[in-house]
Amino acid sequence: MIAPAVNFAPLTGILQWQQGLHVAVPWLNGALLLASILFPLVAGFALLLAGPKPGRALGVVAGVAFLIPALFAVWLWSTYAGFRGEGEYLFRTDISTGLDAFGISLKLGLNGISAPLFLMAGIVGLAAGLFAIQSGMERMHAYLGLLLIMLSGLLGLFASIDLFFFYFFHEFALIPTFIMIGIWGGRGRKAAAMEMTIYLTLGALLSLTGLIAVYVQSGLNSFDMITLREHLAVIPLATAVQQYAFGLLLFGFGILVSLWPFHTWAPRGYAAAPASAAMLHAGVLKKFGLYGLVQVAVPLLPDGALSWSPVLIYLALGNVLIIGFVTLAQRDLKRMIGYSSVMHMGYIFLGIVSLSTVGIGAAVFLMFAHGLSIALLFLLSASIENRTGTTDLFCMGGLARQTPVLAGFFVAAVFAAIGLPGFANFWGELAVFIAVFEFEKWLGVLVILGIIISAVYGLRAVAQIFYGEASDALAGHVAKAGAPSDLKGAERAPALLLLLALMFSGFLPGTIADSINRSVEATYRPVQVSLSGGSSMPAASQIRRMTATSPGFPWESLEVRDHHTAGLWLPPDQTDGGLFAMNGPDRTNNP
Amino acid sequence: MNPETLLFCILFLPLGAALVIACFGRRHGSFSAAVSVGSSFAQMALSLWLLWGIWDESALQPQAQWLVFGDVRFHMGFLLNNTAALLLFVVSFVGFWIHLFSIGYTRGDPGRGRFFGGMSIFMFAMMGLVLADNLFMMFIFWELVGFSSYMLIAHYFERPAAAAAANKAFIVNRVGDFGFLIGIIWCYLHFGTVDLAELEVLAAANPEMLLTPISLLLISGVLGKSAQVPLHVWLPDAMEGPTPVSALIHAATMVAAGVYLLGRIYFMYTETALTAIIVIGTVTAIYSAICAFGVSDIKKILAYSTLSQLGFLVAAFGMGTRFGLYEQELEGARLFGVGAANFHLTTHAFFKALLFLGAGSILHACHHQQDIFKLGGLWRRMPLTFLFFTIAVLAIAGIPPLAGFHSKDAILFLAYEESQVVFYVLVLTTLLTAWYMGRLYFVTFFGKPRTEEAEGARESSWVMWLPLGVLAVYSVLGGFMFVYPPGLHFLIDQSVMHPVGGDYTLMLVISVACGGLGLALGYLVYFRMGAESDVVGRRLPGFHGFLRSRLFIDEIYGFYVRAIQQRVAEFLAFLDQILISGLLVRGSAGIAAILGVVARGSFTGSLHGYVYWLLAGMLLFSLYAFGIFG
Repeated sequence: MIAPAVNFAPLTGILQWQQGLHVAVPWLNGALLLASILFPLVAGFALLLAGPKPGRALGVVAGVAFLIPALFAVWLWSTYAGFRGEGEYLFRTDISTGLDAFGISLKLGLNGISAPLFLMAGIVGLAAGLFAIQSGMERMHAYLGLLLIMLSGLLGLFASIDLFFFYFFHEFALIPTFIMIGIWGGRGRKAAAMEMTIYLTLGALLSLTGLIAVYVQSGLNSFDMITLREHLAVIPLATAVQQYAFGLLLFGFGILVSLWPFHTWAPRGYAAAPASAAMLHAGVLKKFGLYGLVQVAVPLLPDGALSWSPVLIYLALGNVLIIGFVTLAQRDLKRMIGYSSVMHMGYIFLGIVSLSTVGIGAAVFLMFAHGLSIALLFLLSASIENRTGTTDLFCMGGLARQTPVLAGFFVAAVFAAIGLPGFANFWGELAVFIAVFEFEKWLGVLVILGIIISAVYGLRAVAQIFYGEASDALAGHVAKAGAPSDLKGAERAPALLLLLALMFSGFLPGTIADSINRSVEATYRPVQVSLSGGSSMPAASQIRRMTATSPGFPWESLEVRDHHTAGLWLPPDQTDGGLFAMNGPDRTNNP
Repeated sequence: MNPETLLFCILFLPLGAALVIACFGRRHGSFSAAVSVGSSFAQMALSLWLLWGIWDESALQPQAQWLVFGDVRFHMGFLLNNTAALLLFVVSFVGFWIHLFSIGYTRGDPGRGRFFGGMSIFMFAMMGLVLADNLFMMFIFWELVGFSSYMLIAHYFERPAAAAAANKAFIVNRVGDFGFLIGIIWCYLHFGTVDLAELEVLAAANPEMLLTPISLLLISGVLGKSAQVPLHVWLPDAMEGPTPVSALIHAATMVAAGVYLLGRIYFMYTETALTAIIVIGTVTAIYSAICAFGVSDIKKILAYSTLSQLGFLVAAFGMGTRFGLYEQELEGARLFGVGAANFHLTTHAFFKALLFLGAGSILHACHHQQDIFKLGGLWRRMPLTFLFFTIAVLAIAGIPPLAGFHSKDAILFLAYEESQVVFYVLVLTTLLTAWYMGRLYFVTFFGKPRTEEAEGARESSWVMWLPLGVLAVYSVLGGFMFVYPPGLHFLIDQSVMHPVGGDYTLMLVISVACGGLGLALGYLVYFRMGAESDVVGRRLPGFHGFLRSRLFIDEIYGFYVRAIQQRVAEFLAFLDQILISGLLVRGSAGIAAILGVVARGSFTGSLHGYVYWLLAGMLLFSLYAFGIFG
């Protein structure tokens, strides 16, 4: 790590103080975690009950309600990232809910996988909220209230250690989505809301069945993720049980994440959804299923994961290649973005299915990155629609002349989404490609084809909207509605927030990835060990690890390197020393 | 100041400038110009200081770990060795003079802030590419130069041609990068590292570890970035960008990045891969030289010339490195390819940037009349531009003692030693090069002005002719080592196989003969026989049509995109819409059915079934692609 970027003295001071506070006041961060979930919930219901209010006060109240969880999320994430432990759960609270007989209680906490996603939920929530406040929707109080309730559910699901609440918070976020699409949606909202409701309810039911199956079969009378994980690591479920339970979870989660061919609700739903709902759903809520696979299904049911992985590979390949091509054929901007999001889910699935620490860590990183970038794209597409009166790509053109700032943002968002280095998505995709290529060469080649496909549709959209001459349709719209104005400050703020987050994690990916890597290692190393040693595993050899550091490799540092570590560069053995440094302790180099 | 800090500043100065411009410079063109040119000047000054005063020619590699996923580690670092030092010099030096030129060229352009922001991003990305110490980091900056190239080609975005050209450039480069990325990943998994210094040690110790597929995949990136056949199609179109961009990115530096990559990992290529490199380079050289006769747009002629010269570079690298592979006991022979390619890369950067800036000066004076047959008589109106352009034409034609002669001679000599066929093809290309340059030169500068634009041309201001003058000096003296920092001499002097004795005389004769004959043919055929339009077009329209067709490669790609890719996409979208969404999902029993099918299918796993489905699908696609269903 380059020294100045990290050892920036005031920042280091704050982070050290933060760590000190974490140790000195043990209950504080747990309380903040709970508060960040409760605050938007209470605010949301208050707004719903308060009824219509004049715009300005409503906006301020809602803005504060969106801002506070985001600040808490930044605080909690940076505390977690600075802690640099072994990937364990921190900030834990346990609140009895009167359902102790079933082993259900509100257990909250964050580990290295959920902390970045919690942060992402906070940021996207703030951006979606700010965008909603300036959107001028009818019945604004209800819209903002539902968004806040949804945000509360999103934060809750990433903070839950208890599987029941994990599911419960997901439903809590899902139901407002349906309502928002049904009421504030665009053209075709009724059908879209119906299709989405049927589909997602089915997915949720299947995954609930799977979770209950795990609960029942483990015989622990506990929904506690940590208890289950510790127990099942020692005494795994029978392979047949794992297979059917994992199958339920896979298809349940798969439907929720728009796994091919269960994806058709996504583009249609997002095209009809109001922008902020689409941002929150596509950006954050859709990660529920992936998060469930990474955090719950695969660690608890490794044999099941292994036996289902061939199926998942082909379906995920369908996401990347078939949906990639389908995206090329779209002429509606929002549907195109929706399909591109479905396509990128394929990368994440494939990262998970490689069952390597690289692939799973990269998948989580890509979840983080994709959440930010897809939210930015939906935000900007709403801004474009407001200016052109259409989402038909063939009815636009030449917009960059009137709206240069909007064009700049959109170009940046598209390049982030197609994996340009400098944005977060690049690192996730690159590491997924490495994991998949290592897993199976031909699969890697097919998946990497995605970088061409996404470049084609992304750049085509940019050119159709912003370059060239205005189409006749746009000229007609301009004649009626007046020349489009550039991005307003109120729209610019949430877009800038998302863009800065993407660039921050793109330039310094280690800040996000370090905690992910620690928790994935902590969660998956035992799994891999038990798999390779377990007798119930006929295919244990299929679990592969990266061979880059296999013993006997000429891995010694070269002569040139050791002499030139002065100045701005810290020598390798010091890079681990600084608080919040980018890399973990060097586990593989020769001593 | 220690060299690491200096390199750090050299890399990040332009990024800082780009950020400042992005935040404050959008509406303030002159401010942006000042920031960007200032940062470029500082970059040049620091580079020259480093190379002349500080660097002791030993390889430097400061490095830091950047990202860890499991056992995969990504590093960031600089590797300053001979090749990197050369490009550091070329990029910062040529870069600054082109920046200075741009001040004059973009005066009055409303998109000036965006232009200079893009130029600064490019300088950042290019420097990162030059300094990168591992292949992943190289790929990062490789993509970033592609992005800045995209932004700058799309500078006049109102023009549909510019927008299309920008997309084409990025997408064609992505096709190359697709292979390149696979190559890097495979290399990483195969060798356990992508660090250039570690790879060099590994490859030297275990030559049997080198795999031809990896070598070929790594070349794939070169095909895209250095626009080699068959991925050359984007470069002529990229001339839609402003002329300084063409000079900096699409002539002097970025397109040379592919050649730089070859030299950076010269030890990674097997014999088969090197042969492939030679073939690709030679084909590109001759093919593009022929294409140059088919166009009359001054920038496109220069673009084809760039392609052709890049082919020279690539072929030179292949030949020299293969030669070194055969003659391993000969000291330093391993670097013959790198030396020859980089020497010509350097001189080419000077004279080709000069040609483009000269063209820019002409276009600026002639209201962007790009057709050479609509210019004419400019020597009297733009004497300085004429003088400098003359030098560049003589340099590219290989007339001694100008820069192009020395470097081209070394390549021809390599070919002479290495392969008869390649030698003859390259000699022919040299002749053609002088010929089409003569065509361009005489038609543009001599005779009478043929349009009002040419009539009204006036010499450009000093910010535009001063860079031309500096580059002209280097185009004249670039063959002599005293104009370069001492740290570069090893690569472009000692590592270049120069002909001696009788060979020297032979090369001299061939070079002068080809250059002189080519220029004379250009004068006689295209000027004396009437310069009001293309004489071949008048007299031999069929042959001219063949030259213009460029072997229909663009048309073939166009057919693929329109007729195959788009139709497959629409067909799949149709299936997606109708089958999955319409029939299976909307039908109430659909969900249960599809779950059952998926579950059952996955467990029976009959291979025959899959194959039949695949065949049926392919048949359906091909029928659709050829328009059977309308």
